[in-house]
Amino acid sequence: MRNSMAAFRNDARRRMKSILLGSLLLTTTAAVTTSAEAETINWRQFEGTSITWAYDIHPYADALAAELPQFEKLTGIKVTPELYPDDSYWNKLTIQLTTKSPAWDVVGTGIQPAWDLAPGGLLEPLDQYLNDPKLTDAGYDYNDFFPSLRTALTWKVEDGQIATGEGGHVWAIPHAFENIQLFYRKDILDKYKIAVPATPPEMAKACETLKAADPSITPLGVRGVRFWSSIHTAAVSIARSYGVKDFVMKDDVLDTGLDSPESIAFHKDYVDMIKKCAAPSFANDNWYQVVDGISSGRTAMAIDSNMFGFWNDVAGKPASGKIAFAPPLHAPNAKNFESNIWIWSLAMNSASQKKGPAWLFIQWATSKQVALAGAVGGKLVNPPRASTWNDKAWLDYAAKPEFNNFVESFKTTQDRAALAFTPRVGFGEAMNAWAVAMQKMVNGDDVEATLKSLAEEIRAGM
Amino acid sequence: MKGGSLLLPFLTTMENFMMTPHLSKAVMPVGTDTLADRVSSAGKSDSQTERTVDWLSLVVIAPAVLILLGFLLLFFYGVYQSLTDLRLGRPIVRFVGFANYTALMKTTDFWNNIRVTVTYAVCAVLLQALLGLAIAKLFASGVLLARLLRPIILLPLVLPPMSVALMWTTMMNPQSGILNYLLSLVKLGPFSWISDPATALLSVILIDVWTYTPFFTLIIFAGLQGITDDLREAARINGAKAWATFTNIELPLIAPYILIAGVFRVIESLNQFDIIFGTTQGGPGNSTAALSVQAYFTAFQNLTFGRGAALMVVNWLIVLIGAFLMVKAWQAVRSRVS
Repeated sequence: MRNSMAAFRNDARRRMKSILLGSLLLTTTAAVTTSAEAETINWRQFEGTSITWAYDIHPYADALAAELPQFEKLTGIKVTPELYPDDSYWNKLTIQLTTKSPAWDVVGTGIQPAWDLAPGGLLEPLDQYLNDPKLTDAGYDYNDFFPSLRTALTWKVEDGQIATGEGGHVWAIPHAFENIQLFYRKDILDKYKIAVPATPPEMAKACETLKAADPSITPLGVRGVRFWSSIHTAAVSIARSYGVKDFVMKDDVLDTGLDSPESIAFHKDYVDMIKKCAAPSFANDNWYQVVDGISSGRTAMAIDSNMFGFWNDVAGKPASGKIAFAPPLHAPNAKNFESNIWIWSLAMNSASQKKGPAWLFIQWATSKQVALAGAVGGKLVNPPRASTWNDKAWLDYAAKPEFNNFVESFKTTQDRAALAFTPRVGFGEAMNAWAVAMQKMVNGDDVEATLKSLAEEIRAGM
Repeated sequence: MKGGSLLLPFLTTMENFMMTPHLSKAVMPVGTDTLADRVSSAGKSDSQTERTVDWLSLVVIAPAVLILLGFLLLFFYGVYQSLTDLRLGRPIVRFVGFANYTALMKTTDFWNNIRVTVTYAVCAVLLQALLGLAIAKLFASGVLLARLLRPIILLPLVLPPMSVALMWTTMMNPQSGILNYLLSLVKLGPFSWISDPATALLSVILIDVWTYTPFFTLIIFAGLQGITDDLREAARINGAKAWATFTNIELPLIAPYILIAGVFRVIESLNQFDIIFGTTQGGPGNSTAALSVQAYFTAFQNLTFGRGAALMVVNWLIVLIGAFLMVKAWQAVRSRVS
């Protein structure tokens, strides 16, 4: 009996061992299979190398920097971030790339700076990497990025100039973007019973009412510095709804449209609005002042990149829950508004000697997982991937009460948001001149004469 | 680099001046060689004909010569770039002669850049000289207040100009700046300061004056310390009042010091970038767009480097003329004092 029991126990032990081993093997096989399916490329193919990633000091950079240990663990590639203040970064970027220095492998850029960099062969076209199955994961899904973003970052270079349309190269990959919206302090507008304005004349009227009610409040925060960055937010978005185009084709020749009747009409309304609404320091105001005004409550409304409103609505911020959103202003006779976009993207230095590792970093930093984690962390906003906007985790977070109507306003605006500038080399020169002319008009120079002079200056530089 | 090539003749004269042990020697006639000197130099010229090449000396000074040549090369390369259509990011560069210069001269903005540059430098340096002189005289008086203020007055000079610019931008904010608040206490203002084209240039000049007046103070105070009390005492015995002593004795004796400080400040003010860029970036409109700021915008924001280099060369020429005039004035004053 004892022997039969012992034999039974031994047999049972053997069976249990077999079952356990089998289960373990199955689990391991399943894990390996799943892993192989998810990772179609060898992420460790450049193990042991190190690359440098340069970027502006920005919440987007913070979001990526926080995740860097994961990338290093996944690939064995060491990433050294080099972050600089805004003005210094753009100057250093120009110098590093034009001198063909290989020191920076991956750089942050927007669309507009890339127009001046790509024709000189300073940026590496990325389609060859995107289309290489050994380098790009099957799950990367480039088409998941919003079409307007992909289109804006894809062009070809013909005769040293930017040419959009079929057959272009991908020059950078978006990792977050901004569309231009009107965002406002709900508490202030509610207090003085002011409706959200939709046109520049309505805004001018609202500003007068606000000023009369509380002279200590600046009704509207708008950038006014003499750089193109002050044009690319409120001015160009509203101008487009008036039918203004920075460049037009006249008899098959490129010309500026800034002295057109539409442009004159827009500038008269816009200048009048700025005089009635903006701070006296308009000419010195950059995005820092716009954001500071709206977050502190010294400014009632602002027209700028929408995520500035979002970031100040995050729980724990002094203005949390007080900032709501609306599409940008439009011309009184226009049926619709227009909204410009700015895309923070990652590009590759063509002089980089570590292009493979650099691409793996770009790919990882713009992947679905990093985009979602950054968005839910409240930093990589607006997320550039449609999948993020369909993800419950992000939608639940963005729909929290403190963000007011952020999601609805984003969706409404994004339907019409597109690049408002004409892609071309020399963009900065022409648009900086526009910003200087805007300051002159706000300070009292005649609108028509100033625009005529501006157009002549731009034509001379073409 | 501009300063380097410019300062060579000036530094030689400065060296002579600084090597003067004290003021009484500075008034000694210069350029009158003694017989012994002439004999000695005649002997030297004989020995020079026999001298062989001193290779060791040449090797020792070679690095300095190479560095100097490097500076000159960079300068002439900058001049060459101004004669091209160099555009950052575009690989093709064409020689265009003086096209950049002629294009600039056709624009009203260019002449405005020159007007702003010269107005800024002249006003800033004059105000600094006057204030520096007044403060130096206060320090020389040795009163308690002066002794307390002496270390504090140098503070603006040790601050980085960009920090100064950012600090003043905040203080000059028309709505929330402390300047308008303080003026409101005496029922003045509000002023737009750097935000209005009518007052922006004056505002940045005031910032420059605040920052660099201590430099004048320091140099003039050193000059005043060099005047021996015997001279003042002699004047007092002869019945001269304090004002007469100052205008007839002290001022002529410290005039070379004022002009020396003026030379340095004229060179820096004509090149001023940090204060203007940090406050107005050349605006509103072009009201504070000095040549250095416009050159930066043209070269690094608009990426038209050839045009930017042309603006820098024009800036250099103005600095050269300004420094030359100041050095000439200093030499004239010094010879009059001698």
